[in-house]
Amino acid sequence: MPLLGRAALILAFGLVVYAAVAGSYGAWRRRRLVVESARNALCGAFGVALVASLVLLAALARHDFRFTYVADHTSRELPLRYTLSAFWGGQEGSLLLWFLVLTGAASGAIALNRRLTTDVLPWTAPILGGLASFFAFLLVAVSSPFATQPAPVDGAGLNPSLQNPYMLAHPPMLYLGYVGLSIPFAFAMAALASSRNDERWLVATRRWTLAAWTFLGVAILLGAKWAYEEVGWGGWYAWDPVENAALMPWLVATAYLHSVMIQEKKNMLRVWNAVLVALAFGLSLFGTFLTRSGVINSIHSFTQSPLGSWFLGFIAVVAAGSTALILVRLPVLRSRTRLESLVSREAAFLYNNLFLVAFALTVLWGVVYPLVSEAVRGVAVTVGAPYYDFFGIAFGLPLVILMGIGPVVAWRRASLRSVGRTLLLPGGVAVVAGAALVLAGAGSSPVGLVGYTFAAFVLAAIVVEFIRGTRARRALGEPSWPRALASLVSRNRRRYGGYIVHAAIVLLLVGAIGIGAFSTTREVRLQRGETVTVDGYTLAYVGSTAERVANAKELRAHLQVTRNGDDLGTIAAGKNRYPAEGESSNEVGIRTDLLRAEDLFVIADRFDRGGSVFIKVIVNPLVNLIWLAGIVFLFGSVVAMWPDAREQARLARRFGEPEALAPA
Amino acid sequence: MTTLALVLAAVLAVACVVLVARPFLRDIRGAEDLREPTGPERERTRLAEERDRALAALKELEFDHRTGKISDADYHAEVGELRSAAAEALRALDEQQGRRPGPVRSSRTRV
Amino acid sequence: MRLVVALSVAAALAVFLLYTSLAGGSTPSVQPSQLAGQSGVVSLGGRVVGSSTGDARAAGGMRFTVRDPKGTATVPVVYRGTVPDQFKTGREVYVTGTLRDGVFVAEKDSMVTRCPSKYSAKS
Repeated sequence: MPLLGRAALILAFGLVVYAAVAGSYGAWRRRRLVVESARNALCGAFGVALVASLVLLAALARHDFRFTYVADHTSRELPLRYTLSAFWGGQEGSLLLWFLVLTGAASGAIALNRRLTTDVLPWTAPILGGLASFFAFLLVAVSSPFATQPAPVDGAGLNPSLQNPYMLAHPPMLYLGYVGLSIPFAFAMAALASSRNDERWLVATRRWTLAAWTFLGVAILLGAKWAYEEVGWGGWYAWDPVENAALMPWLVATAYLHSVMIQEKKNMLRVWNAVLVALAFGLSLFGTFLTRSGVINSIHSFTQSPLGSWFLGFIAVVAAGSTALILVRLPVLRSRTRLESLVSREAAFLYNNLFLVAFALTVLWGVVYPLVSEAVRGVAVTVGAPYYDFFGIAFGLPLVILMGIGPVVAWRRASLRSVGRTLLLPGGVAVVAGAALVLAGAGSSPVGLVGYTFAAFVLAAIVVEFIRGTRARRALGEPSWPRALASLVSRNRRRYGGYIVHAAIVLLLVGAIGIGAFSTTREVRLQRGETVTVDGYTLAYVGSTAERVANAKELRAHLQVTRNGDDLGTIAAGKNRYPAEGESSNEVGIRTDLLRAEDLFVIADRFDRGGSVFIKVIVNPLVNLIWLAGIVFLFGSVVAMWPDAREQARLARRFGEPEALAPA
Repeated sequence: MTTLALVLAAVLAVACVVLVARPFLRDIRGAEDLREPTGPERERTRLAEERDRALAALKELEFDHRTGKISDADYHAEVGELRSAAAEALRALDEQQGRRPGPVRSSRTRV
Repeated sequence: MRLVVALSVAAALAVFLLYTSLAGGSTPSVQPSQLAGQSGVVSLGGRVVGSSTGDARAAGGMRFTVRDPKGTATVPVVYRGTVPDQFKTGREVYVTGTLRDGVFVAEKDSMVTRCPSKYSAKS
């Protein structure tokens, strides 16, 4: 069976190279049949990649340790779901997943836009084929999942901290996001290559971009939840380079989603958008490279794995290629429309873009600086959280304010007076909220207080938007408030879906401030029967247990929790020992208070022979708003993405063609 | 096991070749090659986009006005400009289409 | 005009970034062999060798020895605070602190080990 896998990969490599080369020829010489053939090759590559993936999955399920990959990443005791998820748990498998998703997305995007990608944008298939060729090359020549060895008795097992439900979902979501960004990138570059000036590619890829961006965002939050529960230091985001690797493309994609609206409505920012989409995709490649090559540990470990240099070379080629294409087409791209006023919705979107991109570049600098410093000066440095926190606040707060102001400012030129008038109510709410918060004690963190006030402002502004819109629809004759709201959102999916997403970001901000600025920590050693009080919670150490489960030994300290005399149950925290891997993992105890959205977070650090336990107790206020924000974010995105028959019809009319370019 | 793998691999290879060759096998004479859009066609698309943009801007102004974000005064100041821009775009498009009537086909939307 | 705005913002940003990254927010990260010349707070990284004694939660702290990842220079470390799960002999750890009288005194809770590498079989 490894033979089938290897053969499938070689076939896949051949197919995508054909798609790249023949597709280029077909696009260049305008040979329709060749272009169609290249298109088919991409679909074929997906099918073959599927076969290879199935071979690997079957090997994993069977515990076939002849496959080096299976032996390295699973063990007999590992529960099935983690065994299967080891598909993407190691280098080779994750490359295969990248390739699978890339060919899948490419086939899908091209199939759904058959006419567009053949007649108008024939370069789409060769560009996607070229991207896929790189991964296929790695899979065939550098890092194959189908290497074999004499089968050991048992495998090495999966790192225990990765044996967690969030780690089942996080990598596939992440890849859907990373790879998804290749679709707008390919279409944009194909449009430049064909020197097409119209917006067709924009319309065709809008939902793909939105979907990729959503997956990326959800993946980041899944990763954060994993870190919160599994790594368990009490925080949710550590500005680790691995985390930043996903954040950077997400920030740029957010900027792109906004500026693309300007291009659609005002035909401005065309060059900027081409740069943004290339930057977003480039950063997702860079993110993949970061987490794969080990370069973040030290620039020296980078040279140990050949994969790193290949990736870097590939990123350089993609960057150079897109830059060249943009420069060559600059005269065609440049728009004649100018920004009329610094106080207008166009300007607000522009500021939004500047802050988002600046923040993304700041994060990039923080990630890259240690490597640059070591390579150039020979002095290694570490860039810590204070750097990121500072810029996160410096750029984040203005962005939050813009979320409140942007929707209210008129196009082209707005009068400050009418903006002020519309924002009077939300502004008032913010002031009242701020005062209330100060009374509640939020003054302990001035930054936190400011953040909360801004959040109140934006939330109020969003609510007002919904109320205003619903009222307007009622005036137009809708019989009831719920019906009016439903028809309002249904007729303006992008706008109101967007508002919901904004609300999600605000929720995220509130949660992040809660845990970041207002959490309380206490460390104490407790003997059996002793208690500790933290922020209203009283914990009494009851005792400890040691229990053997599937592939681990679970050591837990049990504590009784009360608050104001009310019994809140028990909480258990401790460690797991994994004999197969020879590792131990930190298992924190979390008690979530849904009403207050806060968490009681207990880390059991040490179990002493004397029977006492050393624990760290943290109370994280409002942290669960972060996870709620993820759900609201997903909901808002889905609303914005939902296909709209009216819009389809309009686009069909615009291009005066028998078939609309779908899905828009 | 290896023979099975070899057979499957061979089947896969054949399927791929067929898939790639299909366009050539299916239609050797009939397919016209891709052509670049002509000047008038590009112009028509550009004007259509401009028309849509003008109409969308008008619609958005109405929406902003109805939801109270733009005052009556500001609305009346803007709406004239936008209306004439939209009318101009429609006129230009009609004129262009009058010069170059396109084929009339039924409209089918793909989801 | 728009271009001017964008460029000036970018320039200001660039200056700021350079300043902060060079002046503050980053701590030099060194290996045991590079400790000699260092005064002040650094981030020490290296491989744990030998056995560790003491209790990181007790007053005396935990004592262990750290060696250059690819060399022989070692330095004794005394550490108080949370010990990450990944800590064990043979692993790479990083602690922030200062060198005092030949012993590296680490700041409380500053020990980190790198995120477990998913992409190598066993790191």
